Amino acid sequence: MEEKVINIIAEQLGLDPAEVKRDSNFTEDLGADSLDLVDLIMKLEDEFDVKIEDEVASQLKTVGDAIEFIKKLTSEG
Amino acid sequence: MPEIPLIQGGMAVGVSLDNLASAVANEGGIGIIGTAGIGMVMGGKGKNFRQENIEGLKKVIRSAREKTKGILGVNIMVALTNYEDMVVTAIKEKIDVIISGAGLPLDLPSYLSEDSRTKLIPIVSSLRTAQLIFKRWFKRHGYIPDAFVVEGPKAGGHLGYKPEQLTEPEFSLERTIPQVREFTEKIKKEYGKEVPVIAAGGICDSKDVKRVFSLGASGVQVGTPFIATKECDADIKFKKTIVNAKKEDIIIIKSPVGLPGRAVRNKFLEDVERGVKKPFKCMYHCIKTCNFREAPYCIAEALLNASKGDFENGFAFIGAEGYKVNSISSVKEVIKKLFEDMQ
Ligand SMILES: Cc1cc2nc3c(=O)[nH]c(=O)nc-3n(C[C@H](O)[C@H](O)[C@H](O)COP(=O)(O)O)c2cc1C
Repeated sequence: MEEKVINIIAEQLGLDPAEVKRDSNFTEDLGADSLDLVDLIMKLEDEFDVKIEDEVASQLKTVGDAIEFIKKLTSEG
Repeated sequence: MPEIPLIQGGMAVGVSLDNLASAVANEGGIGIIGTAGIGMVMGGKGKNFRQENIEGLKKVIRSAREKTKGILGVNIMVALTNYEDMVVTAIKEKIDVIISGAGLPLDLPSYLSEDSRTKLIPIVSSLRTAQLIFKRWFKRHGYIPDAFVVEGPKAGGHLGYKPEQLTEPEFSLERTIPQVREFTEKIKKEYGKEVPVIAAGGICDSKDVKRVFSLGASGVQVGTPFIATKECDADIKFKKTIVNAKKEDIIIIKSPVGLPGRAVRNKFLEDVERGVKKPFKCMYHCIKTCNFREAPYCIAEALLNASKGDFENGFAFIGAEGYKVNSISSVKEVIKKLFEDMQ
Protein backbone atom coordinates (compact mmCIF):
# COMPACT_ATOMS: atom_id res chain seq x y z
CA MET A 1 0.00 0.00 0.00
CA GLU A 2 2.80 2.36 0.93
CA GLU A 3 4.36 1.87 -2.47
CA LYS A 4 1.06 2.56 -4.21
CA VAL A 5 0.63 5.86 -2.36
CA ILE A 6 4.16 6.90 -3.26
CA ASN A 7 3.62 6.01 -6.90
CA ILE A 8 0.42 8.05 -7.06
CA ILE A 9 2.14 11.03 -5.46
CA ALA A 10 5.12 10.75 -7.80
CA GLU A 11 2.88 10.53 -10.84
CA GLN A 12 0.76 13.51 -9.79
CA LEU A 13 3.79 15.70 -9.19
CA GLY A 14 5.80 14.42 -12.13
CA LEU A 15 8.59 13.03 -9.96
CA ASP A 16 10.63 9.85 -9.81
CA PRO A 17 9.17 7.61 -7.04
CA ALA A 18 12.67 7.42 -5.57
CA GLU A 19 12.52 11.13 -4.81
CA VAL A 20 9.36 10.73 -2.75
CA LYS A 21 10.34 9.94 0.84
CA ARG A 22 8.17 9.37 3.86
CA ASP A 23 9.32 12.60 5.47
CA SER A 24 9.00 14.68 2.29
CA ASN A 25 6.78 17.71 2.79
CA PHE A 26 4.35 18.07 -0.14
CA THR A 27 4.79 21.78 -0.70
CA GLU A 28 8.27 22.43 0.60
CA ASP A 29 10.13 19.35 -0.63
CA LEU A 30 8.03 18.12 -3.53
CA GLY A 31 6.92 21.48 -4.96
CA ALA A 32 3.19 20.75 -4.90
CA ASP A 33 0.84 23.73 -5.32
CA SER A 34 -2.72 24.02 -4.04
CA LEU A 35 -4.16 22.51 -7.23
CA ASP A 36 -1.82 19.51 -7.01
CA LEU A 37 -2.94 18.86 -3.46
CA VAL A 38 -6.65 18.92 -4.26
CA ASP A 39 -6.09 16.66 -7.24
CA LEU A 40 -3.87 14.32 -5.27
CA ILE A 41 -6.47 13.92 -2.54
CA MET A 42 -9.11 13.05 -5.14
CA LYS A 43 -6.80 10.46 -6.73
CA LEU A 44 -6.08 8.84 -3.36
CA GLU A 45 -9.81 8.78 -2.63
CA ASP A 46 -10.48 7.01 -5.91
CA GLU A 47 -7.63 4.57 -5.59
CA PHE A 48 -8.36 3.47 -2.02
CA ASP A 49 -12.09 4.05 -2.10
CA VAL A 50 -12.03 6.35 0.94
CA LYS A 51 -13.30 9.84 1.67
CA ILE A 52 -10.83 12.44 2.92
CA GLU A 53 -12.49 15.53 4.36
CA ASP A 54 -10.94 18.92 3.61
CA GLU A 55 -10.17 19.60 7.27
CA VAL A 56 -8.21 16.36 7.40
CA ALA A 57 -6.62 16.91 4.00
CA SER A 58 -5.16 20.22 5.11
CA GLN A 59 -3.42 18.45 8.01
CA LEU A 60 -1.58 16.01 5.77
CA LYS A 61 1.74 17.77 5.36
CA THR A 62 4.10 14.93 4.50
CA VAL A 63 4.01 11.74 2.48
CA GLY A 64 4.17 9.80 5.75
CA ASP A 65 1.08 11.65 7.07
CA ALA A 66 -0.86 10.56 4.00
CA ILE A 67 0.31 6.94 4.25
CA GLU A 68 -0.61 6.69 7.92
CA PHE A 69 -3.98 8.29 7.39
CA ILE A 70 -4.92 5.98 4.54
CA LYS A 71 -3.71 2.98 6.53
CA LYS A 72 -6.00 3.99 9.33
CA LEU A 73 -8.97 4.51 7.04
CA THR A 74 -8.57 1.25 5.14
CA SER A 75 -7.98 -0.88 8.23
CA GLU A 76 -11.11 0.55 9.88
CA GLY A 77 -13.03 -0.02 6.65
CA MET B 1 -29.64 32.36 -21.70
CA PRO B 2 -29.11 36.12 -21.99
CA GLU B 3 -30.09 37.96 -25.18
CA ILE B 4 -26.52 39.09 -25.62
CA PRO B 5 -23.55 36.90 -24.66
CA LEU B 6 -22.30 39.33 -22.04
CA ILE B 7 -21.59 39.21 -18.33
CA GLN B 8 -20.78 42.46 -16.57
CA GLY B 9 -17.98 41.47 -14.18
CA GLY B 10 -18.78 41.75 -10.48
CA MET B 11 -16.84 44.65 -8.97
CA ALA B 12 -16.36 45.13 -5.27
CA VAL B 13 -16.21 47.13 -3.12
CA GLY B 14 -19.30 49.16 -4.00
CA VAL B 15 -18.66 49.48 -7.75
CA SER B 16 -21.24 47.07 -9.19
CA LEU B 17 -24.38 47.10 -7.09
CA ASP B 18 -28.09 47.18 -7.94
CA ASN B 19 -27.86 50.13 -10.35
CA LEU B 20 -25.16 48.88 -12.69
CA ALA B 21 -26.25 45.24 -12.53
CA SER B 22 -29.89 46.00 -13.31
CA ALA B 23 -28.96 48.39 -16.13
CA VAL B 24 -26.90 45.66 -17.80
CA ALA B 25 -29.66 43.10 -17.25
CA ASN B 26 -32.18 45.50 -18.82
CA GLU B 27 -30.05 45.65 -21.95
CA GLY B 28 -30.10 41.86 -22.25
CA GLY B 29 -26.75 41.00 -20.63
CA ILE B 30 -26.14 39.42 -17.24
CA GLY B 31 -25.68 42.01 -14.46
CA ILE B 32 -23.47 41.02 -11.55
CA ILE B 33 -23.42 42.46 -8.04
CA GLY B 34 -20.05 42.49 -6.25
CA THR B 35 -20.56 41.07 -2.75
CA ALA B 36 -17.24 41.72 -0.99
CA GLY B 37 -17.72 44.37 1.70
CA ILE B 38 -21.41 44.77 0.87
CA GLY B 39 -22.29 45.19 4.55
CA MET B 40 -20.05 48.25 4.86
CA VAL B 41 -21.24 49.58 1.53
CA MET B 42 -24.79 49.51 2.87
CA GLY B 43 -23.81 51.47 5.96
CA GLY B 44 -22.73 48.69 8.33
CA LYS B 45 -20.05 49.63 10.85
CA GLY B 46 -18.51 46.20 11.20
CA LYS B 47 -19.94 45.64 14.69
CA ASN B 48 -21.95 42.68 13.53
CA PHE B 49 -19.99 41.82 10.43
CA ARG B 50 -21.84 38.66 9.40
CA GLN B 51 -25.35 39.96 9.88
CA GLU B 52 -24.60 43.31 8.23
CA ASN B 53 -23.30 41.57 5.15
CA ILE B 54 -26.25 39.21 4.90
CA GLU B 55 -28.68 42.12 5.25
CA GLY B 56 -26.70 44.25 2.82
CA LEU B 57 -26.70 41.57 0.16
CA LYS B 58 -30.42 40.91 0.57
CA LYS B 59 -31.20 44.60 0.18
CA VAL B 60 -29.06 45.03 -2.92
CA ILE B 61 -30.46 41.92 -4.63
CA ARG B 62 -34.05 42.96 -3.91
CA SER B 63 -33.46 46.50 -5.08
CA ALA B 64 -31.86 45.24 -8.31
CA ARG B 65 -34.79 42.90 -8.85
CA GLU B 66 -37.20 45.81 -8.62
CA LYS B 67 -35.37 47.52 -11.46
CA THR B 68 -35.19 44.65 -13.93
CA LYS B 69 -36.75 41.45 -15.15
CA GLY B 70 -33.42 40.48 -16.73
CA ILE B 71 -30.76 38.08 -15.53
CA LEU B 72 -28.98 39.01 -12.28
CA GLY B 73 -26.04 37.39 -10.56
CA VAL B 74 -23.60 37.87 -7.71
CA ASN B 75 -19.83 37.58 -7.61
CA ILE B 76 -18.58 35.90 -4.44
CA MET B 77 -14.87 35.52 -3.84
CA VAL B 78 -13.87 32.19 -2.31
CA ALA B 79 -11.36 34.02 -0.13
CA LEU B 80 -14.13 35.82 1.81
CA THR B 81 -14.43 34.64 5.40
CA ASN B 82 -18.21 34.98 5.02
CA TYR B 83 -18.25 33.08 1.72
CA GLU B 84 -20.83 30.60 2.93
CA ASP B 85 -23.16 33.34 4.26
CA MET B 86 -23.05 35.12 0.91
CA VAL B 87 -23.70 31.96 -1.11
CA VAL B 88 -26.57 30.81 1.09
CA THR B 89 -28.18 34.27 1.11
CA ALA B 90 -27.91 34.65 -2.66
CA ILE B 91 -29.48 31.23 -3.26
CA LYS B 92 -32.26 32.01 -0.79
CA GLU B 93 -32.94 35.24 -2.67
CA LYS B 94 -33.22 33.13 -5.84
CA ILE B 95 -30.39 34.84 -7.62
CA ASP B 96 -30.02 33.62 -11.22
CA VAL B 97 -26.24 33.15 -11.23
CA ILE B 98 -23.34 32.86 -8.79
CA ILE B 99 -19.89 33.57 -10.19
CA SER B 100 -17.04 32.60 -7.93
CA GLY B 101 -13.27 32.93 -8.11
CA ALA B 102 -10.30 34.28 -6.13
CA GLY B 103 -9.65 30.80 -4.83
CA LEU B 104 -11.07 27.42 -5.81
CA PRO B 105 -14.86 27.17 -5.34
CA LEU B 106 -14.52 23.44 -4.69
CA ASP B 107 -17.82 22.90 -2.92
CA LEU B 108 -20.07 25.60 -4.33
CA PRO B 109 -22.69 23.08 -5.59
CA SER B 110 -23.16 21.71 -2.06
CA TYR B 111 -25.23 24.80 -1.16
CA LEU B 112 -27.89 24.21 -3.80
CA SER B 113 -31.16 22.61 -2.77
CA GLU B 114 -33.48 20.47 -4.89
CA ASP B 115 -35.54 23.40 -6.06
CA SER B 116 -32.86 26.05 -6.52
CA ARG B 117 -32.39 27.22 -10.07
CA THR B 118 -29.26 29.25 -9.43
CA LYS B 119 -26.57 28.64 -12.05
CA LEU B 120 -22.98 28.20 -10.88
CA ILE B 121 -20.02 29.59 -12.79
CA PRO B 122 -16.43 29.26 -11.58
CA ILE B 123 -13.76 31.76 -12.61
CA VAL B 124 -10.62 29.96 -13.77
CA SER B 125 -7.22 31.14 -14.94
CA SER B 126 -6.01 27.94 -16.62
CA LEU B 127 -7.11 24.65 -18.15
CA ARG B 128 -5.80 22.92 -15.07
CA THR B 129 -8.09 24.85 -12.74
CA ALA B 130 -11.06 24.20 -15.02
CA GLN B 131 -10.35 20.46 -15.07
CA LEU B 132 -9.88 20.27 -11.33
CA ILE B 133 -13.11 22.11 -10.53
CA PHE B 134 -15.02 20.01 -13.03
CA LYS B 135 -13.66 16.80 -11.56
CA ARG B 136 -14.43 17.77 -7.99
CA TRP B 137 -17.92 19.13 -8.75
CA PHE B 138 -18.85 16.10 -10.77
CA LYS B 139 -17.42 13.56 -8.38
CA ARG B 140 -18.45 15.07 -5.07
CA HIS B 141 -21.61 16.89 -6.04
CA GLY B 142 -22.81 15.35 -9.31
CA TYR B 143 -22.81 18.85 -10.81
CA ILE B 144 -21.36 20.17 -14.04
CA PRO B 145 -20.44 23.90 -14.11
CA ASP B 146 -22.92 26.01 -16.07
CA ALA B 147 -20.08 27.89 -17.76
CA PHE B 148 -16.43 28.76 -17.17
CA VAL B 149 -15.27 32.35 -16.95
CA VAL B 150 -11.67 32.30 -18.11
CA GLU B 151 -10.08 35.40 -16.63
CA GLY B 152 -6.82 36.26 -18.34
CA PRO B 153 -3.84 38.31 -17.12
CA LYS B 154 -5.27 41.60 -18.43
CA ALA B 155 -8.20 41.72 -16.00
CA GLY B 156 -8.72 44.32 -13.31
CA GLY B 157 -8.78 43.74 -9.56
CA HIS B 158 -7.10 40.75 -7.94
CA LEU B 159 -5.41 38.45 -10.41
CA GLY B 160 -5.11 34.66 -10.38
CA TYR B 161 -1.52 34.67 -11.62
CA LYS B 162 1.92 35.23 -10.17
CA PRO B 163 3.27 38.69 -11.12
CA GLU B 164 5.91 37.17 -13.43
CA GLN B 165 3.26 35.16 -15.28
CA LEU B 166 1.25 38.24 -16.28
CA THR B 167 3.27 38.95 -19.39
CA GLU B 168 4.10 35.38 -20.41
CA PRO B 169 2.30 34.23 -23.58
CA GLU B 170 1.70 30.85 -21.98
CA PHE B 171 -0.90 32.41 -19.67
CA SER B 172 -2.61 34.64 -22.24
CA LEU B 173 -6.25 34.20 -23.26
CA GLU B 174 -4.93 33.29 -26.72
CA ARG B 175 -3.48 30.18 -25.17
CA THR B 176 -6.03 29.36 -22.47
CA ILE B 177 -9.36 29.90 -24.28
CA PRO B 178 -8.78 27.24 -26.96
CA GLN B 179 -7.62 24.76 -24.31
CA VAL B 180 -10.64 25.28 -22.10
CA ARG B 181 -12.93 25.15 -25.15
CA GLU B 182 -11.46 21.82 -26.16
CA PHE B 183 -12.14 20.59 -22.64
CA THR B 184 -15.78 21.77 -22.68
CA GLU B 185 -16.25 20.04 -26.05
CA LYS B 186 -15.19 16.82 -24.35
CA ILE B 187 -17.67 17.46 -21.53
CA LYS B 188 -20.40 17.99 -24.10
CA LYS B 189 -19.57 14.78 -25.92
CA GLU B 190 -19.36 12.72 -22.79
CA TYR B 191 -22.12 14.20 -20.64
CA GLY B 192 -24.32 16.05 -23.12
CA LYS B 193 -24.08 19.41 -21.34
CA GLU B 194 -23.13 22.59 -23.15
CA VAL B 195 -20.66 24.54 -20.98
CA PRO B 196 -19.99 27.97 -22.52
CA VAL B 197 -16.53 29.47 -22.23
CA ILE B 198 -16.63 33.15 -21.25
CA ALA B 199 -13.51 35.23 -21.83
CA ALA B 200 -12.56 38.05 -19.43
CA GLY B 201 -9.83 40.62 -19.14
CA GLY B 202 -9.06 43.53 -21.44
CA ILE B 203 -12.14 43.25 -23.66
CA CYS B 204 -13.29 46.75 -24.69
CA ASP B 205 -14.73 46.72 -28.20
CA SER B 206 -16.19 44.48 -30.89
CA LYS B 207 -12.75 43.73 -32.32
CA ASP B 208 -11.81 42.19 -28.97
CA VAL B 209 -15.07 40.29 -28.78
CA LYS B 210 -14.59 38.86 -32.28
CA ARG B 211 -11.04 37.88 -31.43
CA VAL B 212 -11.96 35.88 -28.32
CA PHE B 213 -14.94 34.33 -30.11
CA SER B 214 -12.62 33.13 -32.85
CA LEU B 215 -10.47 31.54 -30.14
CA GLY B 216 -13.42 29.51 -28.92
CA ALA B 217 -15.22 31.70 -26.38
CA SER B 218 -18.97 32.10 -26.75
CA GLY B 219 -19.38 34.96 -24.29
CA VAL B 220 -17.41 37.76 -22.64
CA GLN B 221 -17.17 39.12 -19.12
CA VAL B 222 -16.37 42.83 -19.09
CA GLY B 223 -15.50 44.96 -16.07
CA THR B 224 -13.58 48.22 -16.42
CA PRO B 225 -15.56 49.76 -19.34
CA PHE B 226 -18.73 49.56 -17.24
CA ILE B 227 -17.19 51.69 -14.49
CA ALA B 228 -17.26 54.69 -16.80
CA THR B 229 -21.04 54.73 -17.12
CA LYS B 230 -23.64 56.93 -15.51
CA GLU B 231 -25.29 53.79 -14.11
CA CYS B 232 -22.19 52.53 -12.26
CA ASP B 233 -22.68 52.64 -8.48
CA ALA B 234 -19.31 54.19 -7.57
CA ASP B 235 -18.71 57.89 -6.92
CA ILE B 236 -18.06 60.18 -9.90
CA LYS B 237 -14.45 60.61 -8.73
CA PHE B 238 -13.94 56.87 -9.07
CA LYS B 239 -15.28 56.96 -12.63
CA LYS B 240 -13.06 59.93 -13.48
CA THR B 241 -10.04 58.12 -12.08
CA ILE B 242 -10.65 55.35 -14.62
CA VAL B 243 -11.32 57.79 -17.47
CA ASN B 244 -8.17 59.83 -16.70
CA ALA B 245 -5.86 56.84 -16.23
CA LYS B 246 -3.10 56.68 -18.83
CA LYS B 247 -1.26 53.52 -19.76
CA GLU B 248 1.67 54.36 -17.48
CA ASP B 249 -0.66 54.93 -14.52
CA ILE B 250 -1.82 51.31 -14.52
CA ILE B 251 0.36 49.28 -12.18
CA ILE B 252 0.56 45.89 -10.51
CA ILE B 253 0.41 46.01 -6.73
CA LYS B 254 0.96 43.38 -4.08
CA SER B 255 -2.36 43.23 -2.28
CA PRO B 256 -2.49 42.43 1.44
CA VAL B 257 -4.65 39.43 0.57
CA GLY B 258 -1.65 37.74 -1.00
CA LEU B 259 -2.53 38.13 -4.68
CA PRO B 260 -1.26 40.63 -7.21
CA GLY B 261 -3.77 43.28 -8.21
CA ARG B 262 -4.01 45.83 -11.01
CA ALA B 263 -4.72 49.39 -9.97
CA VAL B 264 -4.44 53.07 -10.88
CA ARG B 265 -1.31 54.59 -9.38
CA ASN B 266 -1.90 57.42 -6.87
CA LYS B 267 -0.34 58.95 -3.80
CA PHE B 268 -1.91 56.39 -1.49
CA LEU B 269 -0.30 53.49 -3.36
CA GLU B 270 3.00 55.35 -3.74
CA ASP B 271 3.08 55.91 0.03
CA VAL B 272 2.48 52.21 0.63
CA GLU B 273 5.19 51.33 -1.88
CA ARG B 274 7.61 53.57 0.03
CA GLY B 275 6.81 51.69 3.21
CA VAL B 276 4.37 54.13 4.82
CA LYS B 277 1.89 52.34 7.06
CA LYS B 278 -1.76 53.33 7.10
CA PRO B 279 -2.84 52.32 10.59
CA PHE B 280 -6.12 50.46 10.90
CA LYS B 281 -7.93 48.21 13.26
CA CYS B 282 -9.11 44.98 11.69
CA MET B 283 -12.53 44.44 13.15
CA TYR B 284 -13.68 41.46 11.18
CA HIS B 285 -10.88 39.74 9.21
CA CYS B 286 -12.91 39.68 5.97
CA ILE B 287 -10.49 37.83 3.68
CA LYS B 288 -9.16 34.41 4.69
CA THR B 289 -5.73 34.99 3.19
CA CYS B 290 -5.30 38.57 4.48
CA ASN B 291 -2.29 38.95 6.67
CA PHE B 292 -4.03 41.69 8.66
CA ARG B 293 -1.45 41.91 11.43
CA GLU B 294 1.30 42.91 9.03
CA ALA B 295 -0.66 44.49 6.19
CA PRO B 296 0.35 48.13 5.64
CA TYR B 297 -3.31 49.11 5.14
CA CYS B 298 -6.79 47.60 5.11
CA ILE B 299 -7.75 46.83 1.54
CA ALA B 300 -11.49 46.61 2.22
CA GLU B 301 -11.40 50.06 3.76
CA ALA B 302 -9.22 51.50 0.98
CA LEU B 303 -11.53 50.17 -1.74
CA LEU B 304 -14.62 51.36 0.12
CA ASN B 305 -13.12 54.84 0.52
CA ALA B 306 -12.32 55.00 -3.19
CA SER B 307 -15.81 53.89 -4.19
CA LYS B 308 -17.09 56.87 -2.19
CA GLY B 309 -14.65 59.22 -3.89
CA ASP B 310 -12.00 59.44 -1.15
CA PHE B 311 -8.71 58.83 -2.98
CA GLU B 312 -6.58 60.28 -0.18
CA ASN B 313 -7.36 57.08 1.65
CA GLY B 314 -8.01 54.66 -1.14
CA PHE B 315 -7.34 53.59 -4.72
CA ALA B 316 -9.12 52.12 -7.73
CA PHE B 317 -8.69 48.74 -9.38
CA ILE B 318 -8.62 48.78 -13.18
CA GLY B 319 -8.11 46.42 -16.14
CA ALA B 320 -4.92 46.54 -18.26
CA GLU B 321 -6.76 48.16 -21.17
CA GLY B 322 -8.49 50.68 -18.92
CA TYR B 323 -6.50 53.56 -20.45
CA LYS B 324 -8.67 53.13 -23.56
CA VAL B 325 -11.73 54.25 -21.63
CA ASN B 326 -11.83 57.99 -22.22
CA SER B 327 -15.27 59.25 -21.33
CA ILE B 328 -18.21 58.53 -19.13
CA SER B 329 -21.07 57.15 -21.19
CA SER B 330 -23.91 54.73 -20.51
CA VAL B 331 -24.37 50.99 -20.23
CA LYS B 332 -26.15 51.08 -23.58
CA GLU B 333 -23.17 52.79 -25.23
CA VAL B 334 -20.64 50.38 -23.74
CA ILE B 335 -22.65 47.40 -24.96
CA LYS B 336 -23.08 48.94 -28.39
CA LYS B 337 -19.33 49.35 -28.70
CA LEU B 338 -18.79 45.72 -27.69
CA PHE B 339 -21.25 44.21 -30.12
CA GLU B 340 -21.54 46.64 -33.04
CA ASP B 341 -21.43 45.08 -36.49
CA MET B 342 -21.82 41.56 -35.14
CA GLN B 343 -24.60 39.26 -36.25
C1 LIG C 1 -12.82 47.89 -9.68
C2 LIG C 1 -12.83 46.43 -9.93
C3 LIG C 1 -13.32 45.56 -8.94
C4 LIG C 1 -13.37 44.19 -9.15
N1 LIG C 1 -13.88 43.38 -8.18
C5 LIG C 1 -13.96 42.03 -8.37
C6 LIG C 1 -14.53 41.16 -7.38
O1 LIG C 1 -14.97 41.60 -6.32
N2 LIG C 1 -14.56 39.84 -7.63
C7 LIG C 1 -14.08 39.30 -8.81
O2 LIG C 1 -14.13 38.08 -8.99
N3 LIG C 1 -13.57 40.10 -9.78
C8 LIG C 1 -13.51 41.44 -9.59
N4 LIG C 1 -13.00 42.25 -10.60
C9 LIG C 1 -12.72 41.65 -11.93
C10 LIG C 1 -13.89 41.90 -12.90
O3 LIG C 1 -15.05 41.25 -12.48
C11 LIG C 1 -13.59 41.46 -14.35
O4 LIG C 1 -13.54 40.07 -14.48
C12 LIG C 1 -12.31 42.00 -14.91
O5 LIG C 1 -12.09 43.30 -14.48
C13 LIG C 1 -12.36 41.90 -16.42
O6 LIG C 1 -11.36 42.67 -17.02
P1 LIG C 1 -11.65 44.14 -17.61
O7 LIG C 1 -11.78 45.02 -16.46
O8 LIG C 1 -10.44 44.39 -18.43
O9 LIG C 1 -12.93 44.05 -18.43
C14 LIG C 1 -12.92 43.64 -10.39
C15 LIG C 1 -12.41 44.51 -11.37
C16 LIG C 1 -12.37 45.87 -11.16
C17 LIG C 1 -11.82 46.76 -12.25
